[in-house]
Amino acid sequence: MKQASFEMNRRSLLAGLAALIGASAVPDGAWAQEAGAQDAAATERYFAPPLYAVLEEVCDIIIPETDTPGARAAGVPQVMDGLMRNWASAERRRQFEGLLLEIDTAARAAGGAGLMSLPKARRVEVVAAFDAAQMRQHDHPYRRFKDLILTAYYLSEVGATQELRYELVPGSFQGGIPVGPDTRAWAV
Amino acid sequence: MSFDAIVVGSGMSGGWVAKELAEKGLKTLVIERGRHIEHGADYTDHLAPWELPNMGMVNEEEAREHYEVQSQCYAFTTATKHLWVKDSEHPYTTPEGKPFMWIRGYHLGGRSIMWARQSYRLSEMDFKSNLEDGHGTDWPIRYADMAPWYDHVETFAGISGSNEGLEQLPDGKFLPPMQMTAVELDFKRKLETAFPTRRLIIGRCAHLTEPTAEHEALGRIACQYRSLCERGCSYGAYFSSLSATLPAAQRTGNVTVVTDSIAHSVIYDPGTGKASGVRVIDANTKEGRVYEGKVVFLCASAIGTAAIMLNSKSEAFPNGIANRSDAVGRYLVDHLSGLGADGTYPGFENSYHSGRRPNGFYIPRYRNVTEPGEGFTRGYGFQGGAMREGWRRGTWQEGVGAEFKGSLRRPGAWKLGLGGFGEMLPRADNRVTLHPTRTDKWGIPIPHIDCSLGPNDLKMIDQVNKDAKEMLEMAGCTNINTRRHYGGVGLGIHEAGTARMGRDPSTSVLNQYNQAHDVPNLFITDGACLASSGCQNPSLTYMAMSARGAHYAAEFLRAGRI
Repeated sequence: MKQASFEMNRRSLLAGLAALIGASAVPDGAWAQEAGAQDAAATERYFAPPLYAVLEEVCDIIIPETDTPGARAAGVPQVMDGLMRNWASAERRRQFEGLLLEIDTAARAAGGAGLMSLPKARRVEVVAAFDAAQMRQHDHPYRRFKDLILTAYYLSEVGATQELRYELVPGSFQGGIPVGPDTRAWAV
Repeated sequence: MSFDAIVVGSGMSGGWVAKELAEKGLKTLVIERGRHIEHGADYTDHLAPWELPNMGMVNEEEAREHYEVQSQCYAFTTATKHLWVKDSEHPYTTPEGKPFMWIRGYHLGGRSIMWARQSYRLSEMDFKSNLEDGHGTDWPIRYADMAPWYDHVETFAGISGSNEGLEQLPDGKFLPPMQMTAVELDFKRKLETAFPTRRLIIGRCAHLTEPTAEHEALGRIACQYRSLCERGCSYGAYFSSLSATLPAAQRTGNVTVVTDSIAHSVIYDPGTGKASGVRVIDANTKEGRVYEGKVVFLCASAIGTAAIMLNSKSEAFPNGIANRSDAVGRYLVDHLSGLGADGTYPGFENSYHSGRRPNGFYIPRYRNVTEPGEGFTRGYGFQGGAMREGWRRGTWQEGVGAEFKGSLRRPGAWKLGLGGFGEMLPRADNRVTLHPTRTDKWGIPIPHIDCSLGPNDLKMIDQVNKDAKEMLEMAGCTNINTRRHYGGVGLGIHEAGTARMGRDPSTSVLNQYNQAHDVPNLFITDGACLASSGCQNPSLTYMAMSARGAHYAAEFLRAGRI
C-alpha cells in the first residue's frame, strides 16, 4: 500500500517510456506552492519597506540589468526576503538586517539621508566600497549575503537561462568542447 | 505469517537478497522499517533549480533542531530532506569526544536511493590483508570466491567503467566509460609520468551509459547526465533497489514487502537451534507482529543489523543472537573521508564541458601496493574531477555591477579536486552496543556508538593530504586548499564490520557463506559482514555478498541443511 510522504501532484512516469526527455511543464502541487510563496505580497514581507528598498537596490547594484535582465527583474529581492521568512535562523536574520543597516549607514556617511536618498551613481559607489571593504576583511555575514544574492540570481530561470545556460536534461556529457569569445557558462 | 525467507531491510543488500531468493522460487518477505516510496512518482528529480524550496537550503533552525547529524551530509537539501532520517526521532548516543556521524535514510530502498554510485571491487590483496598484517581476522574467502558474483551483480546493476588491468582494483563487466575533461586527461598524463606506478582512470559508477535489454525490460533508460541522482532518478538510470532489484523481485510473484515495520529482534528456537522468525513493531501503531521464516537475512545496514542482533536476547544467547564470539557490534569501521585538496589548474582556456557528469575520476590505491606507506599499513584511493568554475566564484571576489556580472558570464578557471578515501583498521573497542536505559519511541534500545580513530588512521589521514597537495603541485596547480579532517568517524557513510566474517567462531560471527556460525539459518550480507573494508566504495561488494549469500542459503535450504 502506498503512503505518500508529502503532497506531490505530478505525472507519474510509466515504466518503459524510453523516449521520455523529462518534465518541463509548470510545476503544480505543493512544490509550486512553496516556490510561489517566496513571492509574497508587500504586506507579508519580512523586511519593512525602507529596508526592503535597500535590499532591492543592493541586489540591483550587484547584478544590474545589462543586455540581460538583472537581479530585480529576476525576482532576487523577493527570493532573499522569502529566505528570511522560510530559511534563515534568528541569528542569520539579525546579521542580514544588520548588513542592510550598515550599508544604509555608510550612505549617510557619504552625505545622504540613507542609500535611497543618494543619486544612482553615488549609491553604486557606496555599495561597491562596502563590498570591497567586506571582502577584504573576509567578513563572513556579507560573504554569505552576497553568495545568496548570486545564487538567487543565477539559479533563477532568468539568470540560469538568459544570462547563462541551463539544460534540465543534457542527455550526454561531452568532456571537451571548444570555447569561443561569446560562450556563456553553465549555470549548473 | 510464514515464509520461506525473511529479509530485514530493503536497501542495497536486502533488495539483492530478495531478488535472488524470489527468482529461485522462495516465498520471500521483505521487512522495511521506513515508509513506502514509489519509484518515479515520489522523486523530486523533475525540479529545475528555481523550483527548489529555499534554493535547496533546508531551514536553518529545522536543520539544527531535527537534522543535526544528517545536515552534515553533502546530499542534504530541500529536494532530498525527506530521504534522510529525522535525527530528533532516531537518536543514538556516542561517548564524549568521539563523534560518530551516522548518516542514513529509512524508506523503501534505503541509501540505495541517495548513494554516490561509485562501484569498485575488492581485490585479492584486500581479502588477504588481515592475514598479512594481523589487523582483524582472516577473511574466510578470497577474491576467486567473489569474482563470479561481482560479474553477476555488475551485469544486472549496470556499471560503467574501463578495464585497466590493475591488481589492486580488479576489472569487471562494464558498460562504456564516461568521458573525461581535457584537464583530467592532462592531469592523468602528468600524474602517470611523474609517478609511473600511479594510475588515473575514469570512475566506475552504477549508471547506464548503454542499457542492455535486461535493463530496459525493467523500464530503465540511459543516464541523461543531470546529476540529480540523490533525489531519485525517474529514468532508473542508476542502480537502486527501487529501479532494479525490487521490481525484478516483484515480477516473480514470490515477494511480499511490508513497510513501516521495525525489526525488533530475531526469534531463536532452542529446540531446533535455528531462527524461527522476526518480531517487528509497527512504526505507526506500535503494535507487535511476528513473521515466521525458514531462513532469515539481516540486511539492515551495519549498525542496524548489529542492534537487532544485540536486542535478540535469549537463554541460549544472553548477549544477542549468534553472538557467542562477542564480536557482534565490534570492529566497526568507516572509510577515512573528508580528505584531499583542490586547486586552480593552469591553461585550457579554450576547452569546456557540457552536461553534468554524475561521476569523476579515480586514482586507485598505490600506498602499500606499488609505493610504500611510511608508518602505516593499508592504503587509500582518490576520487576526483576537474571542471571549470562557475558563477559561484563571484562569492569570493570583490566586485559589483555590469563588469562583475559580465565576468561571471564566462566559464571560470579550471579547478582540480582530489578526495581521499582511506581504509580504517578494525579494533575490538570500536563498537556498537545497546544503550542500557534509553529507548526510542518504539521502546527499542537506542544504539550507543563508541568509535574513534587509531594511530594508523591518523597517520594515513596525514599522508592522504600530503599526497593530494603534492600531486596538485606537481601538476602546476595554484591556490591549493587542503581539507582539514573533521576529527570524527561516519561521514564516509561506509560503516561496516559489526558482524564480521571469519574462520573461527570464537572471533567472528559469520562463516564463508555469510552464514552465522552459531545459527545456521541466519545470514548477514550487508556492511556488517566485512572483515575488512579496503579503501574501495563498498556497495558493489554488498551486492555481490548478498547475491552469493542468497545463493548458498537457497542451496542449503533445498538440501535440507538448514
